[in-house]
Amino acid sequence: MNQATFDKERIDPVLADMFIPPSSHDNEIHLVASKCNKCGVYFFPKRHICPNCFEEGTLEDKYLSNEASIYTYCVVRAAPVGFDSPYILGYVDLPEGIRIFTMIETDNMDDLKIGARVRLIAGKIRRDENGEDVMGYKFSVMKER
Amino acid sequence: MREISIVGAGMTRFAKMPERDVIDLGREACIKAIKSSGVPRKDIQIAYCGTARTGQLLNRECGVGQTILLDIGISGIPVTSVGNFCASGSSALREAYLAIASGMYDVALAIGVEKLSVRRGKGLPLTSDGVTLLTALGFSPPAYFAEIATRHMYEFGTTEKQMALVTVKNRGHSRYNPNCQYQTSVTVEEVLASRPIVDPLRMLNCCPTTDGAGAILLCAKDLAWKYTDKPVDIIASSLHFGLYEKNKDMTTFNSDRASGKEAYEMAGLGPEDIDVAEVHDCFSIAEILHYEDLGFCPRGEGGPFVEQGKADIGGEVAINPSGGLLSRGHPLGGTGLAQTTEIFWQLRGEADKRQVPGARVGMTHTMGGFQDSIELADVASSCIHIYRQGW
Repeated sequence: MNQATFDKERIDPVLADMFIPPSSHDNEIHLVASKCNKCGVYFFPKRHICPNCFEEGTLEDKYLSNEASIYTYCVVRAAPVGFDSPYILGYVDLPEGIRIFTMIETDNMDDLKIGARVRLIAGKIRRDENGEDVMGYKFSVMKER
Repeated sequence: MREISIVGAGMTRFAKMPERDVIDLGREACIKAIKSSGVPRKDIQIAYCGTARTGQLLNRECGVGQTILLDIGISGIPVTSVGNFCASGSSALREAYLAIASGMYDVALAIGVEKLSVRRGKGLPLTSDGVTLLTALGFSPPAYFAEIATRHMYEFGTTEKQMALVTVKNRGHSRYNPNCQYQTSVTVEEVLASRPIVDPLRMLNCCPTTDGAGAILLCAKDLAWKYTDKPVDIIASSLHFGLYEKNKDMTTFNSDRASGKEAYEMAGLGPEDIDVAEVHDCFSIAEILHYEDLGFCPRGEGGPFVEQGKADIGGEVAINPSGGLLSRGHPLGGTGLAQTTEIFWQLRGEADKRQVPGARVGMTHTMGGFQDSIELADVASSCIHIYRQGW
């Protein structure tokens, strides 16, 4: 998919505040986190107050890194309504010290391993009740060089 | 704090029962508990009823306990609904325990009930309560436990065969438990050939959707002799909301470790003192983690622990002699008090062909529920009780 033509209308509203989709002036997708300027900890998705410091106004928006590594994964065969099976879910570790839950995709199941490098992409998560694609963020396994 | 004894326990058969409603199930469990106890209904001073999904599935948020009690001629006492995910029934027991321990009441009834078979999506995993973000990304409880399994296999070399052996053990026990949804044994080969649900978990690694109820009558220990010669004492009660932390090791549950530690300290006992335990085997990998988190074996050795027969009846500690959730099924609020009923029977020597010989000290462990967090993973509730023969 040409990321520059990403259709914002098809983003899952539940996930909409969590990322900035690719656009004509920035072809990259970005996950938006909160960073506490007091304790330095990142939180994803954004928070209203730092749970460590418990002070108002210490959080600022930050983009997270777009590369991560797989901490664990699973392959869903019995899919919830709207999801096409099989699909991969997992947790990936980001350099900011965050481990996040995400859908993962790969061209080759042999590349799906704990420790494999993954890259953030915008892509289809599921279909809505009209059969239209619903978009969100996910991570794609990178080819080993 | 006062000492507490269980003097009566009862449960329904666990099965998909389309013809029975949640009140009917709760009523049967209460009648059995009361009749087994020798406690006249007028002596019951307070009741708690644990449910997790009556609001969403039955349009019944409040009043399940009151309706059950009114049906059996009990009214005018304090009755409180307890909702705490999969530990709702166990949490109702804990509230009853605390009510008596405080000195404010002497005799209490705890009920746990759920009717899950009405849910839509046959053959699909039950979704968790309130996890909007996770669900939007394709989450389900079996997916979460499959992710745990992948990591446990990676770190410790745990195998699909070892996970299958948990099911084989528990289904083997179920042959002697007429209250289980499944009452037949299965082989490792059958588990490994069952339908894939979420790799590496297959159908027979997952507990089934079920209806059922349990009820427990408890009182101050000094009053127990009025009702029975064989009271079963509750010597520890602990409950923890998940201890959420960044980058948590997913091969262990912080909440279970905290609840286990507190329960052992309260009882003045250690894992080596437990003869029989009913633990929350919602998925076979979960039971392997519980061996480790509850201290029955060291970290990472849960797979060999089951493989070497140490969790069998006659092993180091008999785990899930009832057949567990994998056989009995898991009607959320109903599960905890079915576990307690099993331990009540085991410690009184009333467990028939699945009796653990010489069982004097028992444990129940119920856990579950998820927070809608993308970056923090634990379970939302972990409730542990330890019991000892009280005579």
